[in-house]
Amino acid sequence: MIENRPWLKLFSHFILIAGVLIVALPVWVALVGSTQSASSFADSVPLWFGDQGVQNWSHVLFHAAGSTLQIPVWHLLLNSMIMALGITFGKIAISMISAYAIVFFRFPFRSLIFWVIFITLMLPVEVRIVPTYQVIANLNMLNSYSGLILPMIASATATFLFRQCFMSMPGELVEAARIDGAGPIRFFFDILLPMSRTNIAAMFVIMFIYGWNQYLWPLIITTDDTYYTLVMSIKNMLSVPDGDIEWNNVMVTTLLAMIPPVAVVVGMQKLFVKGLVDAEK
Amino acid sequence: MTDLVLKNIGKTYPNGYQAIPSIDLSIEEGEFIVLVGPSGCGKSTLLRMVAGLETITQGDLLIKGNRVNEKEPADRDIAMVFQNYALYPHMTVRANMAYGLKNRGVPKEERDTKVNSVATMLGLEELLDRKPNQLSGGQRQRVAMGRAMVRDPKVFLFDEPLSNLDAKLRVQMRVEIRQLQRKLATTTLYVTHDQVEAMTLADRLVVLNKGKAEQIGTPMELYNKPASTFVAAFIGSPAMNLLDAEMTEVGIKLNESLVLPLSHDYRGKMIWGIRPEHLVASDEQNGDFALQVQAVESLGAETLIHGVLVGSQQTDGSAVPLVVRLSGPHLPDIGSHLWFTAPREDWHLFDANTQQRL
Repeated sequence: MIENRPWLKLFSHFILIAGVLIVALPVWVALVGSTQSASSFADSVPLWFGDQGVQNWSHVLFHAAGSTLQIPVWHLLLNSMIMALGITFGKIAISMISAYAIVFFRFPFRSLIFWVIFITLMLPVEVRIVPTYQVIANLNMLNSYSGLILPMIASATATFLFRQCFMSMPGELVEAARIDGAGPIRFFFDILLPMSRTNIAAMFVIMFIYGWNQYLWPLIITTDDTYYTLVMSIKNMLSVPDGDIEWNNVMVTTLLAMIPPVAVVVGMQKLFVKGLVDAEK
Repeated sequence: MTDLVLKNIGKTYPNGYQAIPSIDLSIEEGEFIVLVGPSGCGKSTLLRMVAGLETITQGDLLIKGNRVNEKEPADRDIAMVFQNYALYPHMTVRANMAYGLKNRGVPKEERDTKVNSVATMLGLEELLDRKPNQLSGGQRQRVAMGRAMVRDPKVFLFDEPLSNLDAKLRVQMRVEIRQLQRKLATTTLYVTHDQVEAMTLADRLVVLNKGKAEQIGTPMELYNKPASTFVAAFIGSPAMNLLDAEMTEVGIKLNESLVLPLSHDYRGKMIWGIRPEHLVASDEQNGDFALQVQAVESLGAETLIHGVLVGSQQTDGSAVPLVVRLSGPHLPDIGSHLWFTAPREDWHLFDANTQQRL
């Protein structure tokens, strides 16, 4: 059916453009704000570029995030990156191995173990945060990268997704590998890993963003600002006890915090969609 | 020398279901054995037990004289071709074929030589660097066979390898498999539900029914002397006509008015069988019985006539169906009567109770 109703077309385009504007406005304000001087936020929100751009960015990136946080943002970026990547790779590795055990090996209480893992889905970090803190404190892991990463590293969601992926693996393929003399470890690395490539990519995107956005846990266990992560620092920069918030610096930091997740999504979207939609088997 | 011996082999699942009660079979070196039967008869289970993919719960399996019941599939010196080929989708054809050798620690140069020679034999040289999803069904089939051949195993196992191909390709691959097997002289166990495939490929056939071997023999033995009604109906297409009858002093009584004279010691209920191609067209004076035509299938070279036996009723009151196969084109009218004779030497007699050949 070919429709030719110009008013309808105009109206739908208007709706679409309005939607884009609404979504893009905060990003625009952040971008414009990052080029202003600290004082220009005093009475109104600036909507066009100022002349402090280069100065703001280089100061925040290389010298100090703000008056309350004397750490350059590149260091915070590095901390966030280490935490996010640690969580992502840890989650993928652990959940793949546990899903491998659950799907391909027959051992007593197999389904019970699966359900126990599955039930932990219902326990988010916030619920178990006090005991987790206790454990990490007893292990002397406060203010350390391992303390930031380890409690987040097990994932029931990822285990469940990998389990579904492995279960859709054709049985004949597993048998062919057995006849070809591939033991459990060979099978895992030669067959299973390359075949779940797209699923791993999808997991990577989801888990990287999850790790990157961690807020409460880093806030609780880091007191030494050399272990601060970027996302929690933004909150830190906003809670100035007295005086003005340095909005220009906050905007720079915010934009910097957005870049890695966006880069990951853009860079991996093809694989990501493929991993979620089809299983090329 | 016997290559593969199945001694009292049986399979009972943990839930108590007995898939295969007991099978004895010994296979000579280089022999092509086809396991054939309807779906659910246990033929694939038996093959998978030989492969080591299913545990053997009873009996002994010997390959070249060694008991291999507890050995891993990779240690049994067998190679298997699967129904869906089971090629590794992320590997090239070359890597697919070489994977088994690689796992056995064969050096790279030797692997390449073997893969190349098998690829040449199968005409796969051009495809070695492609991935399976860039191949057609027939090519995948060939790669799957190549993967089995590269390993140079003692026994080939085929699990319905042709069932995913179209009819034309199936005939072509069938011939090719047979030639390759002759050339390599490797003992082969082949599972199929297609009796044409079974008849054309096999040195010996094993007809399986509900996990039991109904009959083991050459295709011609099975065709000429089926041991039971099951084999009689399974081998040959269209299937043999099997008619309920009674053996009396005067002969085989098909119904009140129709008696085929024969002197035989057996008395009582029996089944009389004759293949559609063995009935001979005749006329009213000389014919043994008349057929009322119901449907005609003209295939050009031959004509299949489906009809019912005139003047005869089954126990439930319906007419007795009969199929006749005549060579050349025939066009009888639907409903007309045709007369046939059934030559004595082509009769098959079965006991009605045991279903075994008399």
